[in-house]
Amino acid sequence: MEALFLSVRLALCVSAILFAIGMPLAYWLAYSRWRGKFLVESVVALPLVLPPTVLGFYLLVAMGPRGPLGKLWQALFGHGLAFTFTGLIVASVLYSLPFAVQPLVASFEGVDRKLLDASAVLGASALRTFRRVVFPMSIPGVLTALVLSFAHTLGEFGVVLMVGGNLPGITRTVSIDIYDHVQSLEYADANRMAVILLVFSFAVLSVVYGVNRRVGRRVWATWPAR
Amino acid sequence: MAGEVESGALTALIRVQRGGASQPVFVLDISVAVPSGITILFGPSGSGKSTLLDCVAGLLRPTVGRIAVGDRVLFDSSGGVNLPPQQRRVAYVFQSLALFPRMSVEENVAYGLADTPEARRGERVDLILAAFRVAHLRSRKPGEISGGEQQRVALARSLVTLPQVLLLDEPLSRLDAELKASIVEDLRAWNQTQRIPILYVTHSRDEVDALAQRVIAIEHGRVIGQGHPREVLDAPRRTRLALAAGFENLLDATVVSLREADGVMSARLAETAVEIEVPLSYATPGDRVRIAVRAGDIMLATQHPSGLSARNVLEGQIESMEHRGTLIAVHVNCRSAVLMSHVTPGALRSLELSTGKTVWVVLKTHSCHLVSD
Amino acid sequence: MTYISKILGVAALLIMGSAVARGQGAQISVAAAADLTFALNEIAKEYESQTHNKVKIVYGSSGNFFSQIQNGAPFDVFLSADLEYPRKLQAAGLVESGTLYRYAIGEIALWCPANLSLDLKNKHWNALKDPRVQKIAMANPAHAPYGRAALEALQKSGIYSQIQPKLVYGENISQAAQFVQSGNAQIGIVALSLALSPAMKSGETWEIPGDMHEPIEQAVVVLKRTKDKPAARSFFNFLKGDSARGILVDYGFTFPAHAPVAPSTRREP
Repeated sequence: MEALFLSVRLALCVSAILFAIGMPLAYWLAYSRWRGKFLVESVVALPLVLPPTVLGFYLLVAMGPRGPLGKLWQALFGHGLAFTFTGLIVASVLYSLPFAVQPLVASFEGVDRKLLDASAVLGASALRTFRRVVFPMSIPGVLTALVLSFAHTLGEFGVVLMVGGNLPGITRTVSIDIYDHVQSLEYADANRMAVILLVFSFAVLSVVYGVNRRVGRRVWATWPAR
Repeated sequence: MAGEVESGALTALIRVQRGGASQPVFVLDISVAVPSGITILFGPSGSGKSTLLDCVAGLLRPTVGRIAVGDRVLFDSSGGVNLPPQQRRVAYVFQSLALFPRMSVEENVAYGLADTPEARRGERVDLILAAFRVAHLRSRKPGEISGGEQQRVALARSLVTLPQVLLLDEPLSRLDAELKASIVEDLRAWNQTQRIPILYVTHSRDEVDALAQRVIAIEHGRVIGQGHPREVLDAPRRTRLALAAGFENLLDATVVSLREADGVMSARLAETAVEIEVPLSYATPGDRVRIAVRAGDIMLATQHPSGLSARNVLEGQIESMEHRGTLIAVHVNCRSAVLMSHVTPGALRSLELSTGKTVWVVLKTHSCHLVSD
Repeated sequence: MTYISKILGVAALLIMGSAVARGQGAQISVAAAADLTFALNEIAKEYESQTHNKVKIVYGSSGNFFSQIQNGAPFDVFLSADLEYPRKLQAAGLVESGTLYRYAIGEIALWCPANLSLDLKNKHWNALKDPRVQKIAMANPAHAPYGRAALEALQKSGIYSQIQPKLVYGENISQAAQFVQSGNAQIGIVALSLALSPAMKSGETWEIPGDMHEPIEQAVVVLKRTKDKPAARSFFNFLKGDSARGILVDYGFTFPAHAPVAPSTRREP
C-alpha cells in the first residue's frame, strides 16, 4: 500500500506543477503568432511519441554529475537528483507535459477571438482578459489537463524504472512494485496491487467525468485532436 | 449636465496592405472625417468596412497612416504612435456582439469600468441599464435573453465607459424592423447628450434610410462617395454600389447622340433597337455606357399613356411576374430589352396584369443613372 | 507487357533468393542473463564464424525471461544467471531432455569510474563508507541472482547496516551498471563479467571474494519449443566447448568442479 500512496502523492505533485507551468505555456502556444511556434509545439509533443525508455535514458544522463540537471542539483543541494522523489517529479513532469498542455491549448484556442477583442477594447489587460474571460470558459480543458496528468503519472512505469532506483517509500511506485512482484513470481501479490490500482483509477476518473457531466460540459470535447 | 462627452471628429487617413510586397492581397486606402453624430459606412461585403473599424479600434495595425479623435492621436506611423485598444477610449460593438457568456448582464456591462471606484461604478451601470431598458435583466446571462435584449446590452456595455468614438459593425442585421427601430431610437437619444462620432457599418439600405445623417460609401477598399445619403446612394456612380443600393435594372447601352442644350442624351440599349433618353454625361456618340434604374421608378400602363412628362415610353409584353414580399416584380420585354418594374398587388389586380399582356413601360429621364464599373 | 514481366522476374528472383538464403543456415534465438552481455556476444560471433547459423541474442533479467518462457515466449536457448529458473522450467516440462548444463559460475565485483579515485583495490568494502559515495547501485535482490549474491556479501562484510541507506536497486545487473556509469551512483556491485567488459574496463574494479556469498551457478537449457532442434543443440554444445569457455574465463567466470578449465584459444581483441 505504501507504493500506492507514493504513486498518488507523485501524481498529485506532478498535476499541480503541470497546472502551474502548463497554463502560461499553453497560453503562449494558443495566442502567439511567432513563426517558430511549431518548433515548440513539436518539443512539447515529443513525449507522446518517444518511448519512455528514451526519455528515461536522457534523464539518467542529464541527472548524472556531468549532466545539466545533475550539476545544478549538486550545486544547490549537495546530492544527486536520480533516485529521489524529486527526481521522479522532474521526470514525470516532462513525460506528462503534452497531456497537460494540449487540452489547455485546445481550450484556449476554442475561445472566440472576438471575445478577446471585446475585452481589450473595453480596457482589460491581457492578464485580466485571461483571468475573467478565457479561464472561466476553459474549465473543461483545465479539468481534462489535470485528470490526464494525474492518470498518466499514476500509470507511469518506464521512466520511473530508468531513474528511480526502486527505493521503497521513495521511488518504488505502485507500477514498479507490481512489476517486482511479477519478477519474483509473487503473482498473488501482483494481482492484488493491480486490482487496487485499477479500482482506484476508475473511481477517480468516474468522479471527475461524472461531476463534469452534471455541470453540463463535455470533457471529451477538448480531447486534443492532434 | 454631468457625464456629457463631447469629442472631436474622428479622422482616419490610412492604408492597409495585406499579402506580399509585390502582390498585395487586399488594400484599404482611405481618408475619412467623421464628425459627431451617426455616420453610416456603407458598402458590399469585402469592401473593407470591418477592416477600417478594426484599425480605428486598434485591433489591426494599418501599414501607414494616421488616426485621431480631435487632437488626440491614436495611431501615427510616422510619429511611431500606436495606442493599444485598451487606451483608445473607442467603443466597438461587433456583429456577433461578443457578450461574455459566463457573466451576467450586469457583470458584462460593468466589465469596462474596472478602474472606476465601486460605488460610482454601480451608479453608472444602473443608469445605463435603465437608459437602454434592460435593467430588469441584470442578473440573467446573455444566453437567457432575446436577440434584441442582447443588442441593447452590448450597446450599454460599450457606452457605459463614455467612449470618444463608437463603432458599430452591422449591429442590427439580425433583428426585425420593430426592434431595430426601438434600438435606433435609444441610440439616437443617447447620442443627443453624448456628442461623439458614431461610425455605423451596414450593407442594408433600410438602415441607411432610418439613421441617415451622413453616408460614406466604400468599395474595394476605397471611398467612392461621402455625403448625404441621397447624393451618395440615390445617384450611385458605381455598378456595385448601384446593385447594393437596390437598382434592379442594369442595362448596357451605346450613346447615340447628345443634346447639350436640353441636358440629355440618347442611348440605344444593347442588342436592341430601343433608344431611351438619359441625363447628359461626359460621353461621345458610340461610347458604351451602363444605365441603372430602380424597378420602383418604372411605371406600367395598360394603355399608351399621353400627356406625361416622362420622356421614355416603351411598348412591350409581360414576360413573367413573381411575388417579392409585398411587391410584384414584373419583367417586361420591350423589343428585346427586358426591364423589371415593381407594382403593388392592388395594381396587379386592377390592371389585370398577366403574362403575355401588352403594356407600356414609363421611365423618367432622371430615373436613369449612368454608372461605371 | 514488358513492365509486368519485369515485376514477375524480380519477384521470382526474390523468392528463389530467400529459398537459397534459408538453405544456408538456421537462426537461433537466445535469451541470456544481462551479465553475459559482452561475453556471449563474442561467443556467438565465434560460433557464427564456424557454422552457417546465425545467433540472435536478447539480454535481460533471468526472472523476466523465466516468466516469458513460461508463457510461451519463442526462445530456443535460455542462459540464466542462476540454477533455479532453469530447474523450474525443466520441472514444468519446457526443457529438452538432457540439456540442463551449468555453464559457468559468476562473480561479483565493486566497480566505480576511474576519476573518483576511491581506491577500491586497497580499501575494499571500506570504500563504500567514503562520504563521497552517496549512492551505491546493485541489482534487486528480490529477483536477480547477482542481487542476491551482492546482498549476501554485503551482510557478511559487516558494514551493511551502515551503508544500507545509500543503496539503490536496478532491475538487473545491467541497470545497476548503468546507474554507476551515468554517474548517478558512485559505486556499484556489478557482475565481474561486466566490470571486465570493454565498456567498463577503464574503471576501478575489486573482485569480491567468492566465499562471501553462495556461488552464482549459471545454467543453460534448450527449450522444447525450439523449431530447429539440431541448430539449438549445436549452439548448446558449442557453449560446452573450449572455445566458448576460454572466452568466459576472460570475463572472470569460473567453472563447476566437474569441468576443468582449458586455456583460451582465441585472440585478444
